[in-house]
Amino acid sequence: MTMIQLNDIKQMLLSQGYIADDSVAMSVFLSLQLNKPLLVEGPAGVGKTEIAKVMANALQTDLIRLQCYEGLDATHALYEWNYQRQLLHIKMTEHSSQSLDEKEKTIFSDGFLMKRPLLQAITHHKKPVLLIDEIDRSDEEFESFLLEVLSDWQITIPETGTIKATHIPQVILTGNRTRELSEALRRRCLYLYIDYPDFEKEWLIVKNKVPGIDVKLAEQITGFMQQLRKIKLEKTPGLAETLDWAAALTTLHIDHLDKNIIEQTLGVVLKDWRDTREVQLSLNELMEKTGIISKLNAI
Amino acid sequence: MIIRQTSLSANVIQFCRFLRQKGYTVGVDEETITLRALQCIDYTHPSLFRQALKATLCRNKIQAEEFDEIFDQYWKQLGKAVDARTKDDTSKKKPVTQLSGLRSLKTWLHGNRTNQTEETATYSIHENISRKDFSSIPEEDVDELMQIIRAVAKRLAAKKSRRYKSSQHMDIPDLRQTLRKNLRRGGELLEIAYRKHQRNRLKILMLCDVSKSMELYTVFLVQFMYAFQQVYRRMETFVFGTSLKRITPVLKEQNFRTTLDLLTEENSDWAGGTRIGECLNNFVQNYSKNLLDPKTIVIIVSDGWDKGNMDLLQKSMEFIRANSKKIIWLNPLAGFAFYRPDVAGMQTAMPYIDVFAPVHNAESLRRLGKWL
Repeated sequence: MTMIQLNDIKQMLLSQGYIADDSVAMSVFLSLQLNKPLLVEGPAGVGKTEIAKVMANALQTDLIRLQCYEGLDATHALYEWNYQRQLLHIKMTEHSSQSLDEKEKTIFSDGFLMKRPLLQAITHHKKPVLLIDEIDRSDEEFESFLLEVLSDWQITIPETGTIKATHIPQVILTGNRTRELSEALRRRCLYLYIDYPDFEKEWLIVKNKVPGIDVKLAEQITGFMQQLRKIKLEKTPGLAETLDWAAALTTLHIDHLDKNIIEQTLGVVLKDWRDTREVQLSLNELMEKTGIISKLNAI
Repeated sequence: MIIRQTSLSANVIQFCRFLRQKGYTVGVDEETITLRALQCIDYTHPSLFRQALKATLCRNKIQAEEFDEIFDQYWKQLGKAVDARTKDDTSKKKPVTQLSGLRSLKTWLHGNRTNQTEETATYSIHENISRKDFSSIPEEDVDELMQIIRAVAKRLAAKKSRRYKSSQHMDIPDLRQTLRKNLRRGGELLEIAYRKHQRNRLKILMLCDVSKSMELYTVFLVQFMYAFQQVYRRMETFVFGTSLKRITPVLKEQNFRTTLDLLTEENSDWAGGTRIGECLNNFVQNYSKNLLDPKTIVIIVSDGWDKGNMDLLQKSMEFIRANSKKIIWLNPLAGFAFYRPDVAGMQTAMPYIDVFAPVHNAESLRRLGKWL
């Protein structure tokens, strides 16, 4: 396990269908080797979350996911006592001869503890991959709480005591830069920024991920998306949209793009009506840049 | 952990110090990790070496983008010192290391203030922006500013009130609701109700001067109003020059470009004269009834240059002061060292102002959060 080579990581990612450039492979490799959390930032839909999934698959372990949102607090990330169950239990054992101490011990035992992702991750039977998704959406308080967990790898439950991690999980944090994360958290992690892929990489991914796609179509789609990202849009489409679109067009048995098809299927790519309007207006120009129109004219 | 001192590790640490001067947070921890990382890879391979350093030493997007340039700059100077560990190589690079060592010592002595270091070819984007006057900021940088304003507005929106409202999550137990809810179960407290603090009910009213004298700051002002309105919903925005205009609905438009177009189109006052008194009076007459209350903070952004009616200004200010929570006057000129509020308009308004502050750079914007 300790002597994984960089090339193995690339192979691992590739075998899971994740086409990584060198910087991604290096970051994943070092985060595994040094046992450090990996903070991945980048625009939406470039495969940040996917890294964690692929890693879990490749390491043949489980993925535990903590989805962050505004207002997420420690209880939701760590554990909760199953209060109703405890209460019922007390009711049922009301007339038993158990002493108070014993009763207390039972209702504060594992059976009544509802584990939330963080606790789950550190008590897992084998080293899991812990994905903390969209960390920038959580509040600052939660971030500093997370810091504590990430450095100590133990959680204290007042009623039962401190739980130490059986295995230190492999942590991946993702963020969209909606809020700047604190320096302290950044320093705990390795940092990786993923940008939109360039033409070659995107083309490769489309060919790989959408089986049976026409080579020419893949080229056109990728070219079109590359141009599309140069326009200032509300929601710039990511790689996920490219793949959706490619899959949709393949299902429709289309082997080349033309204006009609693009207009009809634009909803797969753009998710905001203003964007749609804008792109429809500049569609001709876009297609010229991509080289779709001139090809049609030649025919 | 003990790391064997080779010329490579010494060089890496030297490089780390170089980065520290560039504003990277590189401490002993980072240095250790970098060296450990190098043990895992084939570091004689130049691109692998660079990637490994990049992966371990960068902390945010800006740093990741700058990194390659800084890397080249540094290692070019050291020449081939990475591959060879011979002695003449160390002698070759000595002047450089000494220099940067001296420099880092200097900055260390001066409490790590980066402005003490000599100017080098690369730059740090962050540093620049927060000190720069808004009148000299090119348009591309405005995104960074937006982020700051967002943070301020968001903090403001998240402020808590003393009152409570019911909560779906586990929060402060609400005894009253809990009892009420469980009455139907014969008083067995199976379900616990929670409550939490209400979010801020503060309202903000912004009056923005867009006259000729403020022209330099116009781009920033629009950004400021737009960002604020986007994040903070309880807000009304007016602009004034020779006349007053309510632009709240325009600012609620989603796209910034269209907002800017709409604003310039709609407002013929843009870069005209100023008549603060008349405009504020107009506001008091027509809008104050609905918009002013003791929970409203009034922000006025203006330089106070005025040729209008001082009497009206005074009366309006008095009225606004009496009917609002606080008046904050933001003056872009107040950031200059020798500025004194001598202008007639400023003089008249001064007695009614709770906070008088500059908005001339990002640093001052950050402070805005404190006063709100």
